[in-house]
Amino acid sequence: MTATSSSVPPGAGPDAGPGAEPGSGAVGARGVPFARLLRVESRKLFDTRAGLVLTAVLVVLSPALVVARSVATGVTGFLTLAGTAGIALGILLPVLGVLTITGEWTHRTALTTFTLEPRRGRVLAAKCLSTLAAAVVAGALCLVIAAVATAVHGEQADWGVTPMALLGRLTTMLILTAQGLAMGLLLLNAPAAIVICLVSPMVWSLVANVSTVGETLAAWLDLGVTTGAPASGGMTGGEAARLATSVLAWIVVPLVVGAVRVIRADVR
Amino acid sequence: MIAFHNVSKTYRGVRALDDVSFTVRPGTVTGFLGPNGAGKSTALRILAGLTRPTSGAATVLGRPYAELERPGHDVGVMIDAGALHPGRSGREVLVLGAMLLGLPRSRADEVLHLVGLTGKEARRRVGTYSLGMRQRLGIGHALLGSPRALVLDEPANGLDPHGIHWMRGLLRDLAASGCAVLLSSHLLHEVEQVADHLVLIGRGRVLAQGTAAQLARGRGLEQTYLDLTADTERSHL
Repeated sequence: MTATSSSVPPGAGPDAGPGAEPGSGAVGARGVPFARLLRVESRKLFDTRAGLVLTAVLVVLSPALVVARSVATGVTGFLTLAGTAGIALGILLPVLGVLTITGEWTHRTALTTFTLEPRRGRVLAAKCLSTLAAAVVAGALCLVIAAVATAVHGEQADWGVTPMALLGRLTTMLILTAQGLAMGLLLLNAPAAIVICLVSPMVWSLVANVSTVGETLAAWLDLGVTTGAPASGGMTGGEAARLATSVLAWIVVPLVVGAVRVIRADVR
Repeated sequence: MIAFHNVSKTYRGVRALDDVSFTVRPGTVTGFLGPNGAGKSTALRILAGLTRPTSGAATVLGRPYAELERPGHDVGVMIDAGALHPGRSGREVLVLGAMLLGLPRSRADEVLHLVGLTGKEARRRVGTYSLGMRQRLGIGHALLGSPRALVLDEPANGLDPHGIHWMRGLLRDLAASGCAVLLSSHLLHEVEQVADHLVLIGRGRVLAQGTAAQLARGRGLEQTYLDLTADTERSHL
């Protein structure tokens, strides 16, 4: 710490005097414009050490996995390599979703965030949208990496892929990210939410193997199963219904319940 | 400028605030004084729209906080200097605030200078800061929007004597320029040196308010404070 300067900030001058009483702060649109909230929340994804580490791991790990698979096992299929690149994403994006939300409570920065924008629902919306946008960018990056790794094989490269299948993969990635956001918002506790996101696939495969009832349950509620259809590029009506059910259970309901609670409750 | 109108707050049957009313006029520093657990933080949280009152209302510029058009420009708030992400740099915290308020990033540097944090310190992660540096950063964050009202919860905690001296000067200058300043503290001496007006609170109730001279009642301010808060102190039990 240096100077003991105690000058007055510009703007808090005499114009802010007693004459400027009630309501004269009322100029312009109310609150923080949503685009500005989006910019700030996007920046907050990457401006902490944890955010940087997550990003670095992603940028290093995805190409490494793809190269390893492409070189070591001689895989030449674009879709297979894209799937390999997505393995790291499937784990990291839900974690990013969880941490984006819970970080505000772990470090109690929700106090300042909600003081600068008291309309909490808009802050939450900006957080979710910026995280989903980051997921799309990360997904696109994976496709580029996979494309490069495929192209290296020249003649033997297998480009067999439909636009629907690519879209399906991207959707799956968004769904997993959204699950992280939803669990984070519902629990406001990073470890619990991360465990649920990462362990639930294992639990579901156990449940599905135990009994036929379990198998039916998993068919309707296990995001790992229900997102299989869009990821493979086509979907029947039944598959769409099962996907919708699981999304409702793991994303929509917890998001709404969590958001309502955050908006109503006292900020701790 | 800042007003509490019969504010009460009950947490699960416990009355944290009981019919609290007082005002902070522009151009004055008001000290909100009381023992730990008296309800100071609850009152300031209600003022900042973070906690809902059970009854009554707290207003800034005549409106409840949540209804302000540009809250960050109207009121600067520091509720908890510890509520900072340890993984962010000090400057980054201010840049995020400036972005939200629609101010240029250079405002972050102006504020750093104002609160006496060097460029080198500002680049460090907040996790490495002392409590005094966090207080400076928190006060700086509250000043980003050049607000006409300032609300600080226990701003002197963790400041060294040099820092306390600095803060006094800063608050007096702000008040002189027309700002309404409300600061809470549980330390009498800290507050009486800077506040024009004192509000004494204990067990959620306003026990007395007025200038230091009025409250002293010829017996000295400290004696008044001790008498009024006697039944709220643990040592008394």
